[in-house]
Amino acid sequence: MELRIEGLTKKYHEVTAVDDVSYTLTSGVYGLLGVNGAGKTTLMRMLCTLLKPSAGAIYCDEKDIFGMDGEYRRLLGYLPQDFGFYPDFTVWDYLLYIASIKGLRPAVAKERAKLLIEQVGLSKEKNKKMKKLSGGMKRRAGIAQAMLNDPQILILDEPTAGLDPNERIRFRNLISELSEERLVLLSTHIVSDIEYIAKEILLMHNGRIEMSGTAQELITAMPEKVWSIEVSKSEIDSYIKAYKISNIKAVQGGTELRLLSENPPAPNAVLETPTMEDVFLYYFGESAGEADD
Amino acid sequence: MTKYEIKKVFLKTGSKISILILLGLLAMTCRFAMGTEFTDESGVARSGKAAVLKLKAAQKEWAGILDEEKLKRVIEENNRINETPQGQSKDYRQNNIAYGWKQGFREIRWLINYSFADHFRESDYYKADSLKAEDMSKFYVNRIRLLKEWLEGDGRFNFSDAQKAYLIKQYEDLETPFYYDYLEGWSQLFLYSPTVIMITMLVLGYLLAGIFANEFTWKADAIFFSSMFGRNKAVSAKIKAGFNITTVIYLVMMFLYSAVVLMYHGIDGWNCPVQAGTFGWKCFYNIKVWQEYLLIIAGGYIGCVFIAFLTMWVSAKTRSAVLSVMVPFVIIFIPSFMGNIDSNLVNKILGLMPDRLLQVNSAVRIFDLYELGGKVVGAIPILFVLYGVLAVVFIPVIYREYRFKQVK
Repeated sequence: MELRIEGLTKKYHEVTAVDDVSYTLTSGVYGLLGVNGAGKTTLMRMLCTLLKPSAGAIYCDEKDIFGMDGEYRRLLGYLPQDFGFYPDFTVWDYLLYIASIKGLRPAVAKERAKLLIEQVGLSKEKNKKMKKLSGGMKRRAGIAQAMLNDPQILILDEPTAGLDPNERIRFRNLISELSEERLVLLSTHIVSDIEYIAKEILLMHNGRIEMSGTAQELITAMPEKVWSIEVSKSEIDSYIKAYKISNIKAVQGGTELRLLSENPPAPNAVLETPTMEDVFLYYFGESAGEADD
Repeated sequence: MTKYEIKKVFLKTGSKISILILLGLLAMTCRFAMGTEFTDESGVARSGKAAVLKLKAAQKEWAGILDEEKLKRVIEENNRINETPQGQSKDYRQNNIAYGWKQGFREIRWLINYSFADHFRESDYYKADSLKAEDMSKFYVNRIRLLKEWLEGDGRFNFSDAQKAYLIKQYEDLETPFYYDYLEGWSQLFLYSPTVIMITMLVLGYLLAGIFANEFTWKADAIFFSSMFGRNKAVSAKIKAGFNITTVIYLVMMFLYSAVVLMYHGIDGWNCPVQAGTFGWKCFYNIKVWQEYLLIIAGGYIGCVFIAFLTMWVSAKTRSAVLSVMVPFVIIFIPSFMGNIDSNLVNKILGLMPDRLLQVNSAVRIFDLYELGGKVVGAIPILFVLYGVLAVVFIPVIYREYRFKQVK
């Protein structure tokens, strides 16, 4: 399974949401990392045939996905960021309905729905109305619907948005479990969501893929070093103006800053091991850490 | 898929409430249609099943071919009652007793009033009281004469020569003397049929307004359109669901309404020409009562399906259930406002508006004529074909509209 994106562009009047993106995805988990408004959702919507590109094309095993129509969507599982559902349907009805529009025969649909309900831990909520589920449960129902047709391509747009830390970990593990033998593209603006599970991370900024590679490759490729330094409160502002600060921590007798710089920012600065958080800060600067898309 | 689409519609609390309201309004309408009164021997108006049975028994005595002899008997009996102390009395209670004696031929008396009116568009309740038995030879002739006089007088600018000739021919083609029977059941059924059809349509509009738009409102569109059948079979399933809901609700409503009213009043008179009822005396369509019933049912159905599809198209096009739910209101109420405009062209247009299909009982009595290829045709057949075809044409239009929706 290969998904090839070629010169993909999407413009909304004067705004270019996705700008000439080319990339090839094969099996494995891909993390699409970017800040709010980077174009992640637009790119994913084009990959799901929900939006037509202004230019460029997407090929699935060398066939244009828009030309493939239902044949392509048969391979697809999608969990949108803004996961909508039918409020009065029970979880069971919801999954059976989605199974029917995914082309599953009723017997297979029931079997898959039962299996996935167990897998995502919603057995007790099977007959509950969707509108009565908690945020985390809804997300789990969302992942279950995406997996109903056992998709070869799984696209998850900000799947952990709005979840509490426990739910987030649980969800990450679930995705990791489900990602075997398929192409998974997962968008997020939270580094920890993909740091350990993605085989490749794509950094998206202003509609473009700025950088890509494994977490280690991205860390290594970062031109700046990471430093920690203890400063007095009065000095904080001047450091914030001069450097990209990834963390501010109050310590006894002052404040510890974690910052990016090619050279030591001060004689007492200590060289630190960079992480993906630092990479994120380096590429996305002040936009990093903004709220959910 | 269709099953789930229907489920989506009916699981909503609003839908459940709207169905209850619909059934409540149906019950109320049936109650009105069962409101027939019978004035008893003491001059008191009674209602209820017993009153209906008495009225039926009284009118059944006058059932049969409405020939000159029968009409003469009606006038003689009418005049005899008028001469009684009760008929002559200044006391309305005494007059009511006299009225009670006339109930058996009340409808025939009305037909006589129409036939012997001074003008085509007039009716005088007391006209029959001034007539003699020998006048009755003109009963059927007058119908045609009054039409001709009107077409040469006030109505001369409303129709072309071909249309005038068509109307006269239709009037002349009515087989006379025709059969008369007790028609209260059909009369009441026809009278309130537009109410039932229109409230059904309004509720259908509410139910169907969200069938496409709610995918967007609920933000379920992304999953819907990214699924295998999201841009083909699932769209068809929505259209099918809309059609099935319209068909089942409409037919159930009409069945319940017809069954209640006809079981209460009886089906007598089903084979009479519509002109035998006061509701159809001037009608230029020479059809039987049962044929008008079928036209009302079929017209209402075509109208409901057309408006349902139009609502669904607006729902698909605008992604707004609020705008869609307004469609039936606009179709039903706008022509009522335009009806005040005194223009031949406006009337011609109004005659072909889809709301006419929801009130075929009135439409069959309106002189809406059109010329197609040199042939004069009434509005009813045009309405049936036009909106039947448009409803079918809407299916691929809705399908295409929704199939290519983009999810931004």
